Amino acid sequence: MTLQVTQLSKQINGRPIVEDISFQWTPGEIIGLVGRNGVGKTTLFRTMINQYVADAGKVTVDDHDIVTTPEEQRQVFFLDVQYNFLDNYRLWELPDFYGDVYPQFDQQRYLALLTQFKLDRNSQYRRLSKGMRALTNMILALTSNATYIILDEPFDGLDVIVRENIATMIIDEIADQKKGFLISSHDLNELDGLSDRVLLLKDSHLVHDYNLEDVRAKAKKLQLVFKDKQIPAVLKDHSKLIRVSGRVLVVVITDYTPAIDQQLKALQPVLFEELPLTLEDLFRANLAHDTGYQLMK
Amino acid sequence: MHNQLDRLIWRRHRRLFLVAGGLALLGCFMSTILSLHGLPHSATQLVDGNIQNWNVYMGAYFSGFPGWIVAVYWLAGLLIMNQDLKDNFNQFLFTSGFSRRRVYWSKIKIAMAALFVIAVLTIALEYGMLWVMKPAGVGFHLAWPGVLTSWIVGLLSSIGMFSLTWFAALIVGQTGALMVTIVGFTLSLVGSSTISVNILRESGVALNAEQQAWLMGVSFLVAAIILFVWGAALYNHLSLEHNGEYLLFPKLKVPVYIVFVVYVTSLSVWGTDGWSLVFWFLASAIFGYCWLWRPRLGEMFHQWRSRRG
Repeated sequence: MTLQVTQLSKQINGRPIVEDISFQWTPGEIIGLVGRNGVGKTTLFRTMINQYVADAGKVTVDDHDIVTTPEEQRQVFFLDVQYNFLDNYRLWELPDFYGDVYPQFDQQRYLALLTQFKLDRNSQYRRLSKGMRALTNMILALTSNATYIILDEPFDGLDVIVRENIATMIIDEIADQKKGFLISSHDLNELDGLSDRVLLLKDSHLVHDYNLEDVRAKAKKLQLVFKDKQIPAVLKDHSKLIRVSGRVLVVVITDYTPAIDQQLKALQPVLFEELPLTLEDLFRANLAHDTGYQLMK
Repeated sequence: MHNQLDRLIWRRHRRLFLVAGGLALLGCFMSTILSLHGLPHSATQLVDGNIQNWNVYMGAYFSGFPGWIVAVYWLAGLLIMNQDLKDNFNQFLFTSGFSRRRVYWSKIKIAMAALFVIAVLTIALEYGMLWVMKPAGVGFHLAWPGVLTSWIVGLLSSIGMFSLTWFAALIVGQTGALMVTIVGFTLSLVGSSTISVNILRESGVALNAEQQAWLMGVSFLVAAIILFVWGAALYNHLSLEHNGEYLLFPKLKVPVYIVFVVYVTSLSVWGTDGWSLVFWFLASAIFGYCWLWRPRLGEMFHQWRSRRG
């Protein structure tokens, strides 16, 4: 089972928004799609799902093109935040629409999750707060039982409790390896601890496809204090400076080898402490020079 | 799966059909009551002898096909397509696993079925009310030629009106502009039907009133088929990034411009002289250009003035 995006391109008003995008997505993966505001994340989703007619390329599910075999789209769930037609319906009515589209839609679970999250099933969708809408959308996504679930900025503007609820639901859902998530965000902290892979979109192109496990295995974030104020050559050559506070340096070394370890210890630093490595640190270290990631937040 | 798509579309639009049906029935009820109250004391027949002709019957107190039905078809074509665009129901349908072609024709099928029920109920209400509520001594005698012609031509005209607004709402993405466009076009149709008859007469094709009525019905049917089929082809390529723009299909700009200029010029200059032709051609060409391309004239003027000064 695979969803394959192949050389997908879309122009809007003559301007390329996404160009030549290719990646593969299998159930069990949580993929983060990151990029600055306006880089084309939503356009990519809408083109993938055939709301926008692609200028080139295709999306296949199990080798079936979703344009020529539209039934395959039922394996992909994407709830566009602009679905205004939902506004006039009450929450208990929404499965009337989604149940007809997704053959595996679990109505009982949908109602149970509404109750669990204290969402009134008689509320109209338009009367919900932003956080409640996000939760409702997430419940619809999960109970659709679609294999591939696309979430567009699901954490945007939500409080920490709702964010945690959503993140927990995603992690629980992925456990049996039958579903995959593609989550867009312009804030890397939101994807930290959630994604297995991160796709970086820049200037209409997919510039990097990171396997975070591999990256984390090789990288280290260190807090160091040296006797003198001079930054050692080994750091200049192999690390990215994240923060300087007085004589305290915080660095990320993306390819931390035993040789670098030996060289650092030989300098007898006053402080040598390993810090937890965040996704943001990794991207700063990997991309600061060529992506301008520091401006993303 | 066909049933599921039909159900989705029905669920989405059932309130609209309910309101449209209510409007047609209420309007018909009111106009029938007014007709009954307006009957002169001397009147003994609600329907005159013209009901024997194969023509659309429209008398002083009774019309064979209530105009409310045409209005409701007109409105439904406009609202179904426009609401689906505005509320992004099209987006939902495009991701729902049904082909666009099937979505398009299912929408038409559901709309036609629901509107047909509304038409039947409205006709039954009008005929029933007149039959039951006519004062004593007043006759209500119908004949098949007038009744059948009224129903068939009326229904074809209604479907034609539906197809016009349906197609307009498919290609125009701004509600206000759509309303202005479609109201203007509908009103101009009244004038163009008279002109068409004159054109035919001058071409040596003299039609009597009955033939004209049937020709109108057939013309509406042909127009509806063309617009539905053309609409299906366009709907298949509808890319929703143009939502909110005047034309949802940018490539239609030039064809729409040509149709507009030719239509307005020919409608305005019929029976007038050559100067009128020049005037209306220039007026429609300039207006059409400003309407479709929206040149920022003020900004261009200020730029020109700043360059000079």
